[in-house]
Amino acid sequence: MHIVVCLKQIIDPEIPPHVFQIDPVKRKQIRGKQALVISSFDEVALEVALQLKERVGGKVTIITIGGSEAVEALHTALAMGADEAILLSDPAFDDSDSFGKAHILAAALRRLGEFNGVLCGRQAGDVEFGLVGPFLAEEMGLPCVTLVANIEPGDGKVRLRRPTEDGYEVLETSLPFLATVTNDESNVPRYPSIRGIRTCMRRRIPVWSAAELGLDPATVGPEAARIKLEQLFIPKREIRCEFIEGESGPEKGKRLALRLQELKLI
Amino acid sequence: MTDILAFCFASAEELPRASVELLAAARQLGDKLGDGNVQALFLGPDAEEYGETLVHRGADEVFTVSHPRLQYHEAEVVLGMLETAVQRLSPSVVLFPHDALGGDVGSRLAYRLGTGIITDCVGFEIEDGVIRWLRPVYGGKAMAYMVAGGPMQLATIRSRAFEPLPADPGRQGQVQALEIDVDSIPSQVSFLEKIQEKIEGISLDQAQIIVSGGRGMGNAEGFSALRDLAGVLGAAVGGSRPAADLGWVPHSRLVGQTGKIVAPNLYIAVAISGAPQHMAGAGASKTIVAINKDEDAPIFKVAHIGIVDEWENVLPALSAACKAVLNG
Repeated sequence: MHIVVCLKQIIDPEIPPHVFQIDPVKRKQIRGKQALVISSFDEVALEVALQLKERVGGKVTIITIGGSEAVEALHTALAMGADEAILLSDPAFDDSDSFGKAHILAAALRRLGEFNGVLCGRQAGDVEFGLVGPFLAEEMGLPCVTLVANIEPGDGKVRLRRPTEDGYEVLETSLPFLATVTNDESNVPRYPSIRGIRTCMRRRIPVWSAAELGLDPATVGPEAARIKLEQLFIPKREIRCEFIEGESGPEKGKRLALRLQELKLI
Repeated sequence: MTDILAFCFASAEELPRASVELLAAARQLGDKLGDGNVQALFLGPDAEEYGETLVHRGADEVFTVSHPRLQYHEAEVVLGMLETAVQRLSPSVVLFPHDALGGDVGSRLAYRLGTGIITDCVGFEIEDGVIRWLRPVYGGKAMAYMVAGGPMQLATIRSRAFEPLPADPGRQGQVQALEIDVDSIPSQVSFLEKIQEKIEGISLDQAQIIVSGGRGMGNAEGFSALRDLAGVLGAAVGGSRPAADLGWVPHSRLVGQTGKIVAPNLYIAVAISGAPQHMAGAGASKTIVAINKDEDAPIFKVAHIGIVDEWENVLPALSAACKAVLNG
């Protein structure tokens, strides 16, 4: 089974709000000294792909759109166990919207030719639009199942499990398919192995440009965008926290109960 | 006249809160645009039963499609029907709930129509006749105004972002069934089964009080102290993403951007740092109480009432005192 995983490299989303900065003119986050990481749901998608490979064999190819700095994310994914990596890079790709990104990824899938499944994270860890996966499925005409946590391989088919609020759903589709992936207990991403890091960190990564993908630059980039971020700002919060004081923890707990009663909250 | 179509889907036997919230959002958008006509497209196994109720809740026109298949998240069937409905009604705006089905069919309908879609919206403003959709980005650390280009405006609306309109039995509107041949819609994906697990305790949706724990609870046993407090208060138990990922609470109990969005009267956050991803789920609570040993934890920036201490020192006394208070 050949699974392709689409990854996005983002600025570490776990940073605390006080070091989070934006550029209101470029309408983007400012990286500063923050680390770049693989978007967390994409990492989960890679884990699901690696588990599939372990069960039925085959290979996992990762693709990403980005500049040369994105090679680091691909090296990490290789060290986790992916077999091949391709960087889709071209100045024409910058500031593409979700339609443009899906179009670039679709061109890469066509160039790859044979694959049985495509996995994407349910949404990117930065802007969180959640559109590229479904758009890519539509562009490629692939059966699409969203918010899947794990995948059972079958004979020319896959069974996909989608967690719900109060249980789960099971869906089935033929190959090739596309799924967007969410997390649960079964797909916590593995760490890259030391050996993996040693052997993968210097691997040369093929780079495919717009020309190599046969892409008309007018179909990607900001000019082609239909989803536009016009204004970015950090909201002001004006809540003053009322602290319950006391000599000891139990005393504070008791005072809190009385305060909640006073406010008619309990 | 600007037609605003709200996508309503009822798989269970009651009118989902998401549908009513969506009508409130559509009504507000219609009023801001000045000439809005709110249409509800209502799909479900017994959709026509809800026609009048939807009018009372803000719809000017209701179109129902009833079919036994319309109780499952079968995206291609719903999508096929949506395409037909949207072609016939040609609305200017289509609103979806930002949930599993709404996000799935909304995004794919946008692709098929070649039109822009803005997901997870919490508000909007109109500037020179253009809708500027407001949505959180970067885990809620920033907000963005976004604009969708193309022949139609599509948006998914975050739950709890709009307060439902009170039912007005005097409101008049039209209700009609839409004839769509559901059986002939092809699907490449088969829906095999839906498993509902028994939920212990009070559900997050219905609770007036929620007690949630985070990574700082230390282990699964820590959650039993939370359950004690929840038992006393008649509250539901929730957890942050680390707590759910560590298996201390089931994922169905996850409060946050990728879990449940809740808005109880009282939200008690214990050993939760208050990451934006979590607050996206709990931020709409009327009163937030935080108990955390770190006085610099971001949770105290959003909490109304706080205690700085180890939870182990506070919770037993809090539970006992609440019990005493409630027993009068």
